[in-house]
Amino acid sequence: MGVDKKIKKFLRDAIRVAPKISNKGELFELRNGLVSQYPQTRKDAIRKIIQQMTSGKDVSSLFPDVLKNIATQDIEQKKLVYLYVANYAETHPELCILVVNTFVSDAADPNPLIRSMAIRTMSMIRVDKILEYIEIPLRKTLVDDNPYVRRTAVLCVAKLFQLNPDLCRELGVLNDLQDALSDDNPMVVANALAALHEINELDPGSIDIKKLVSQNVKRFLNVLNECTEWARITILESLSEHKPIDPMESQEIIDRVVPHLQHVNPSVVLISVKCILIHLPNLNTVHDSIYNKLSTALVSLMSTPVEIQYVALRNIRIILDAFPNLLRKELRIFYVKFNDPLYVKIEKLDILLRLVPVDNLKHCQMLFNELKEYAKDFDHEFVTKAIQSISQLAIKVSNGGEDTNNKFLNMVMEEFVSIVQEREEFRDILMRCVCDMLRYDSDNNLIKETSKNELGAIISSWQDIDTIFTSDLGSCNYIWFITNYTNENLETKLEPLVEVFDELGSLTQMSLLMGVVKCHNAVSSAFLQKILELCTTDVHDLDVRDMAMMYWRCLSIDNGDQIINQLFDKHEIPKLHSTLDHFSKETLQSLLQELSTLSSVYFKPISQMQRRPNEVHIIKDKDIDELKGMATNEILKNMNDDVLLDMGDSSATRSTGVLDELNDLFDITGDMGKVNISQKTNNNNNNTSNSHATDLLDLM
Amino acid sequence: MGNFFSSMFDRLLGAEKELRILILGLDGAGKTTILYRLQIGEVITTKPTIGFNVETLNYKNLKLNVWDLGGQTSIRPYWRCYYANTAAVIFVVDSTDKDRMNIASKELHLMLQEEELQDSALLVFANKQDQPGALSASEVSKELNLAELKDRSWSIVASSAIKGEGITEGLDWLIDVIKEEQM
Repeated sequence: MGVDKKIKKFLRDAIRVAPKISNKGELFELRNGLVSQYPQTRKDAIRKIIQQMTSGKDVSSLFPDVLKNIATQDIEQKKLVYLYVANYAETHPELCILVVNTFVSDAADPNPLIRSMAIRTMSMIRVDKILEYIEIPLRKTLVDDNPYVRRTAVLCVAKLFQLNPDLCRELGVLNDLQDALSDDNPMVVANALAALHEINELDPGSIDIKKLVSQNVKRFLNVLNECTEWARITILESLSEHKPIDPMESQEIIDRVVPHLQHVNPSVVLISVKCILIHLPNLNTVHDSIYNKLSTALVSLMSTPVEIQYVALRNIRIILDAFPNLLRKELRIFYVKFNDPLYVKIEKLDILLRLVPVDNLKHCQMLFNELKEYAKDFDHEFVTKAIQSISQLAIKVSNGGEDTNNKFLNMVMEEFVSIVQEREEFRDILMRCVCDMLRYDSDNNLIKETSKNELGAIISSWQDIDTIFTSDLGSCNYIWFITNYTNENLETKLEPLVEVFDELGSLTQMSLLMGVVKCHNAVSSAFLQKILELCTTDVHDLDVRDMAMMYWRCLSIDNGDQIINQLFDKHEIPKLHSTLDHFSKETLQSLLQELSTLSSVYFKPISQMQRRPNEVHIIKDKDIDELKGMATNEILKNMNDDVLLDMGDSSATRSTGVLDELNDLFDITGDMGKVNISQKTNNNNNNTSNSHATDLLDLM
Repeated sequence: MGNFFSSMFDRLLGAEKELRILILGLDGAGKTTILYRLQIGEVITTKPTIGFNVETLNYKNLKLNVWDLGGQTSIRPYWRCYYANTAAVIFVVDSTDKDRMNIASKELHLMLQEEELQDSALLVFANKQDQPGALSASEVSKELNLAELKDRSWSIVASSAIKGEGITEGLDWLIDVIKEEQM
C-alpha cells in the first residue's frame, strides 16, 4: 500500500464523525450509519430507520444494509430489524433469501424470545423462497420446551396455511396442530384452537373442527380458568358453537362458564353470556339464579366506556327478543344519562320500551314521566325517538297491561295534544305517533272523543301544509288524519298538496288518493276526477297508478259507492297491536349464534353480509436468469451510449482525408450494425441509434 | 442527531471499533467451518448457508466482525451488498475441487475489481489439505492467477479447517497486515 493511500486513510479515519445530514440526503447518512464500524452507531441508525418507517416514510431502499444487522446478540436491535424485514420483505423478495440462515439459526437460539420471534417473523413474510426453508424451524419450535415458543409456533401454522396450504399439508403440520390441543399449557391449547378456527375458515374441508372441539370439551373447560382473556374468548366461542351431546354436558358447560360472567373484560363477559344463553335451552330445568346472574353480568356492561356500552346495548336488544324475562328488574339502569352520546341514548330508549313490565302500571308511569322529560331535549333526533317511544309505550301498555278505563292511553293522548301545540318542529313524528295510536284504537272506543276533537281542531288549523312536513311519512299521516278525523272542507285543505302533486313522495300520493276516494261524497266530482287523473298519469310509482285505476273502475260501475264504502270500513281493518319491531325467528336464531360479533351490532346475520375474500398473495422473487437479463440489458444500454458518443467525436473531429474518413465511417457503421443486432431486445435505443445512422450517412 | 451523539460517545469513551472481515468462496469450500473454528475452536456440522453467518471474535486485542456468506450460485450476486467498509477478505478454496478452480478464480477476480474492496487485504485459504489429492498452496495460487494481483496485500495459506491447521497462521498474517494499514 502506497504512502499516499495511507495518509488518505488516516485522514478519513481521523475526521470520521457521526453521520450528519449532508446534502447527499438522509437515506445516504442512514446507510452510512448501518455499515459503521461502531455497533452503537449501527443500532442508532436502525432505530432511526424504524422511526421513519413507522411514520410512513419509504425506507425500503436500505433493505440490504438493514438486513446485515439482523445477526446480533442485542435483542432490541434484532427485534427492530425483524420488524423492518417483516414490513419490507415484499419490496425486495430476492434479497430475503439472505436472512434465511439467520431465521433458521435464531429458531434454535437459547433465548425463547428470539426463537419465537424468528418463527413468527419467518411465517409472516410472504415470499416463496423463505417458505421453502420454514420446515425445520417450524417443526423444531412446535415441539419446543418453552410454552411461549410453542404457542407462537401453533399460530404460525395458521399463517403458513394462509400463504401456502399445499405446503402446510405436505409438511403434515396440521396434525401437529391438532396434537397441540392436548398440550399441558393452556395458552398453547387456546392458540392451537384459534389457529384451527382460522384454517377452518380458510378451507372448510381441511379439518373437522367440530369433532375436535367435541373431543376436547372437558380439556377446554379445565384450562379456561388459567387462560388470558384472548384465549378465553377463543375457547368460549368454540364452546358456544359446540353442539352438546346431552343436557348433562350443557349443564357442565354452563356451570364452568358462569364464573366468567364476573370477568373485568366486557368482551369475556359478553361471550360468556352468549355461551350460556346458547346452552340454556338444552337444560331440563333452569334455575332462576342463572337468569339473575346473566342480568347482573349484562348490567355490569353498562359501566363500561360508551362505545362498549353501545355494543352491549345492541347485543342486549337481541338477547331481549329471545329471552324477554332477562333484566326485568333492571329498568332504571337503562334510563338515559344527560351526557350519553346520541347513539347510546337511542339504543337505551329502544331497550327501555322492550323492558318495561306492562303489568306494573307504576313502572310504566315512571317511564312515561321520564320520556316526557326526554321529549323536552334539544337534540332533534333524540326528541323524535322519545316522542315515538311515548306512543309505543301507550300502545304496549294498553294492549298488554291492565290499563283500567284506558286511563294511561288517554293520559298519553292528552300529553300529545299539548305537545302538538307546543313543539311544532316535530310535526312529522307527532303526526305519525298520533295516527299510530288512532289506528290502534280502530274500534273508536278507547280514546276519548274530546281529545280527538281537540287534536282535529289543532291539526286542521295548520297552514302551508305543503311545506311544514319534511318527511313522506309525516305528510302521509297528516292526510290520513284529515280525511278520517275532521269534517272540514277537504278540498281547500288538500288543494296545496295537489298543486305540488308530482313533488310528493309515493306514500303521500297513495294516501292522498285513498283519502279522496274514501271521502268521494264529500268532495266535488271535479276534484275527484283531478286526483284520479293525476294518479294515473303523473306518477312514477306503479302501485299508486294501479290503485288509482282500480278505484276509478270501482267508482264508474253501478253500486260502486257501496264497494268503496265497504273497502274503507274501519272495522274490517285488522287492529294494530304493537309498533315495536321484532326480528324474524330465523334472523333471531342466527343473531343469537353471532352475539358479540360485528353482525350483532349491525343486526345483520353473517350470511347476509358481503365479505371480501381473504386475498393473500405470495411474492415470487425474480429468477436469476431474469436478473441476468436485466443486467445485460443495462450494460448494453450503457455500452451503446458510449459507442454513440465515440461516433459523434470521430465524425466531428476528422475532417481531413476523405479516404480515412470513409474508412472510419465504414468501420463505425459496421460496428453499429453489430450493436443494432445485439440490441434488438432493447427497443428504446434502437430508434436513436438508427437515427444516428441516417445522420452519419447524410454526412457522407 | 442520535447518530451524531452516539458516535461521539463511541469515540470519547473509546468504544471498540469492529473490523469487518468477509469469508467468501464457492459453495462447500468450508467457509462456515472455518468461521466456527475461529469462533469456538471446534468443528461443527454445517448445512449449506442460505444467507450468511456473522460472529464477533476478539483476536489479539482486535474486535473482528467476521461474515461468512453463502457460496451458492444463487447467493453469490448478493456478496456485493456486504463489501462496504470491509477490512479484509478471506477467500476459501476447496483444493480438491480441480474442476471448479476456474470458476473460483473468476469469482475472485470479479470480486476484487469492486471499488469498495480496493483497500482490503486478501487471504486465500487452500482448504481441505487433509484430503487426498488436494492441490498444494502454490498450485492453487497458480490456478487462481494470484500473481496477477497488484497493489494489494495478499497471501495464500494451505489449511485444513477440520484439523485446524493453517487457520491461525493465516489469520495472524491477516491481522498484521490490517494493523499496519489501519493504525
